[in-house]
Amino acid sequence: MPVYECNEHQFVENIRRLIETSQKFLVNRRISWHDDAKYGPAILPDEEFNRYAIICIRKSLRSTVFTKVPFIDDFHRRTYDKGENVHGSGNLMFPRMSIPYYKVEYSVNVWGATYFFTFDALFDPHIVIEKRQGKRLSGLVHVLKYNPPPDRLLTLKLPTKVMVFDVKNMVRVIDNSSYF
Amino acid sequence: MQHAAYFYIRESLLTYRDMRNKQKLKSISVLIPLQEVSASISQLDFSLDGITTIVAEGKFWKRMLYVNGEETISVSEEIGDAYPKDPIITICGSTHTVSKITEELQHYAGLRM
Repeated sequence: MPVYECNEHQFVENIRRLIETSQKFLVNRRISWHDDAKYGPAILPDEEFNRYAIICIRKSLRSTVFTKVPFIDDFHRRTYDKGENVHGSGNLMFPRMSIPYYKVEYSVNVWGATYFFTFDALFDPHIVIEKRQGKRLSGLVHVLKYNPPPDRLLTLKLPTKVMVFDVKNMVRVIDNSSYF
Repeated sequence: MQHAAYFYIRESLLTYRDMRNKQKLKSISVLIPLQEVSASISQLDFSLDGITTIVAEGKFWKRMLYVNGEETISVSEEIGDAYPKDPIITICGSTHTVSKITEELQHYAGLRM
């Protein structure tokens, strides 16, 4: 069974064409939460990295990122000291400071083929100064929190007549039509 | 009087349901600056509902959601120094909204749908 990858434009336009042909179809959606160190601060474009600029510093994109101040990563319950290497330029695949994200997968099956569109939505960093009491850091400290993006920003809005099924997992389907 | 009120409510519900059912879907990938796209959307009384950062096709994108009642428009633009930038506009709304946005954007060169 062929599987085709689409970008957002292609996927939405394919669905629009299906709607126009009055074809019966079903859109599957899978939203899963990940924190597997796929994204770290060194690979973020400047515009996105600037949201971490209060606590981190780097020379340029893909350079080593160091902490500017001691801070607590509330999400992972980790404490970082000043000047700590959180994402090395020689180790871009394995950041020490991982940015959690939602993986959003849309797929539609038409005439035995699967067309899918997938993207990752990064959690929003929120840096605050809080009074904390701990072994390594106490008093007023910077605290990094991550807020998951709201559902309405993750989902593709489709007309009400399009049925969208939320699924837990996409399992490979055996195509029995080839036996006939 | 009761009959009149009943029919009024019924007709209103039917009109609302028709409007919902007549929602159109359209995606436009266009070589137009984001400012121009945002201006066109704002003219139709859409307001910015939220922004999030997504990663698709190995690139970072800023995804903005505009809302006007039941209608939504999402605009995704690549973050960084990429040139030329071609935001992806996805509209789920009335025929009027789709045609208005398309008309507005057609004033600029490089439209490809």
